[in-house]
Amino acid sequence: MAAPAAHGRTLRLSRPTVIAIVDDDEAVRESLFDLLQVEGLPAKTFGSAAAFLADDSAGGFDCLITDVRMPEIDGIELQRHLRARGSLMPVIFITSLTDEATRESALLDGAIAWFTKPVTDEALLQALRVALARNGGGEGAASQHPSGN
Amino acid sequence: MATAPSSPAEAGQEGEATPLSLGPECPDADLNRFDTACCALDISRVRPIIAAVAGGAGGPDWVEALLAGTRIADVNQRTAHLLGSYEGRDRMIGQPVTAYWPSEGRPALAELIMAAVADYPTGAPRTRKVTSIAFADPLLTVWTAEGGQCPDIVFLSLAGTVIDDRSLWTLLASDERYRNLIHHLPSALLQVDSTPMTAIFEKLRRDGVSDIASYLDDRPELAIHSRNIVRVTDANRKAVQLFAADCADHLIGSVDYLFMASPETAKRVITAHFEGRRSYAERMKVRTFDGRLRDVELSVTYPTLPERLDVTLLSLEDVTDRLRTEAQLRQLQADYTRTARISMLGELATSIAHEVNQPLAAIVTNAETSLRWLAREEPNLAKVGQLTARIADSARHASDVVQRIRGMAARRTPERTVLDLNRIVDEALLFVRHELEARSIELSVRLSDDLPHVRGDRVQLQQVVVNLLLNATQAIAQAGRPEGRIDISTASGADRAATFAIHDNGSGVAEENLDRIFGSFFTTKEEGIGIGLAICQSIIAAHGGTIAVSNHRDGGALFHFSLPAAEEN
Repeated sequence: MAAPAAHGRTLRLSRPTVIAIVDDDEAVRESLFDLLQVEGLPAKTFGSAAAFLADDSAGGFDCLITDVRMPEIDGIELQRHLRARGSLMPVIFITSLTDEATRESALLDGAIAWFTKPVTDEALLQALRVALARNGGGEGAASQHPSGN
Repeated sequence: MATAPSSPAEAGQEGEATPLSLGPECPDADLNRFDTACCALDISRVRPIIAAVAGGAGGPDWVEALLAGTRIADVNQRTAHLLGSYEGRDRMIGQPVTAYWPSEGRPALAELIMAAVADYPTGAPRTRKVTSIAFADPLLTVWTAEGGQCPDIVFLSLAGTVIDDRSLWTLLASDERYRNLIHHLPSALLQVDSTPMTAIFEKLRRDGVSDIASYLDDRPELAIHSRNIVRVTDANRKAVQLFAADCADHLIGSVDYLFMASPETAKRVITAHFEGRRSYAERMKVRTFDGRLRDVELSVTYPTLPERLDVTLLSLEDVTDRLRTEAQLRQLQADYTRTARISMLGELATSIAHEVNQPLAAIVTNAETSLRWLAREEPNLAKVGQLTARIADSARHASDVVQRIRGMAARRTPERTVLDLNRIVDEALLFVRHELEARSIELSVRLSDDLPHVRGDRVQLQQVVVNLLLNATQAIAQAGRPEGRIDISTASGADRAATFAIHDNGSGVAEENLDRIFGSFFTTKEEGIGIGLAICQSIIAAHGGTIAVSNHRDGGALFHFSLPAAEEN
């Protein structure tokens, strides 16, 4: 987000949207990758929150799809790490958990959607569309205002 | 307790005894020339009683009447010391002899007076051995003055080896201190005179009885008789409180009330006494005078020298509140264990759900993605092929997880011990009783008392019963029954099998589900993961038994399992 305000929209338009997928279960993350692929959405998969955080330092992702229960850093903590960094990246949770308290805390931290596994493809893609629209629109607007547009 | 001269301190306190002054006509008057304890008794007022007794019309209380009217005319120094008060001889003169003479010695004294004054019965001895706590083998002798001098005076001497150089009075004083101490002791004490048992025990020994416990069992009337003849002679303040009596007098009398609520205790107390034990203790129940039942620790201290000390002490400690606290603690502990187990089950269910759900999620997404590839104008068959292979992998993985969970029940090397199925049911009920109560489910339990033992693993079989019980409570909750009811029973079945049945009043099992209800992950519950009944089946099968379900004719499901009887070896 360090890009000059005037170039915000241009940059976004020129760079393809990339979605991060974090899940410790390989079959799950591959299946999500393939689903996004069939819709023409580029994605990158990570086996752990730590691997993703290391890669995300450049802020190259437009949306994060993550599991909740993972060894070491779980999905809830992952989202908090992002927010602590000042990132507004939309986060979508897909989990086996039906625990209401965890869901609420994820949503309070700004999660855009919370799905219980297995999620239907249509529901996930719809949430992604919302996330990407908000991301592009929201950040774009925020970076364009100073230019007096 | 050694033989010793009288204490100089006490002798000094009393001062030099004044010579007796019964008059010059009495040659025996100087009682101080006797080394033994001597005294002169004035019987002038009791002549009519003496005459009546001699005439055979004494009445039942003649001993007391005679002695109460007999006044002390004089005492020698020794008597004053032994029997008297600190005020000494002057204080004793003119007092009734009953004020100083110990009660157990009164019949002997009265009879000796009768012998000396009226020669009644004719030729009766004027000397007798008496019992005393101050002398060893004391000899009591009476006589009257020769030649009709001082006709109303009976002389008395008490000879014997002093076994306690303290005076009777100091003994009494120390007895008083002892009584005070006992009275204020923080535990309830009953002083019991168990001497009547001595005669009974002697007779039993003569009759060759050695196993008194079984003798008492065969003759319950003996214990009852003993409870009636053994008497409480004193009770302290705490005992009065314990029994909620109005005063100590209400506790004095037959010891019977002590054993009202625990008649078996009386037998064991008698047995220990008979066997010559020094003490006996057990926990018993007593019924208080206002009808409450209390738990007490009874400690009996038997007389160590039965020929001298006939006092048995019973101490009673009220432990009702302590036991109640202990019971509450045990309950808390049980609640804690149950909660821990339930939360463990919850943890287990969550992690199983997660593990099974992962491959399922992948399968669903891969299948949906395949459909999207196929729906394209130019279907990407290569991609679909790849996804289908992944679907197969994930399905296999899910199946592995299922196998692993199934294996969990059998993984631990099961124990094979001989078990009582009824006990297993009782133990299992401990885990779910709270659950049943919380849901207001009425439980009826009918356990057969003629059940063959089974061979198996206690924990696993408990788990089966717990699972079936939880399944039943959930079925009731699901059916929305306001008045839940579960009937469980055990019985001895065909081929010497032990059987267990549980019937709930839920909605029963749908006809099409009867065949697959024991399959893994079969559930009709929103939150269930469907492994409870599958585990039940694998455990019962591993025990060589069978489990089945049917719908009860009165509605609700009836689960039923049977286990082969343990081989006798």
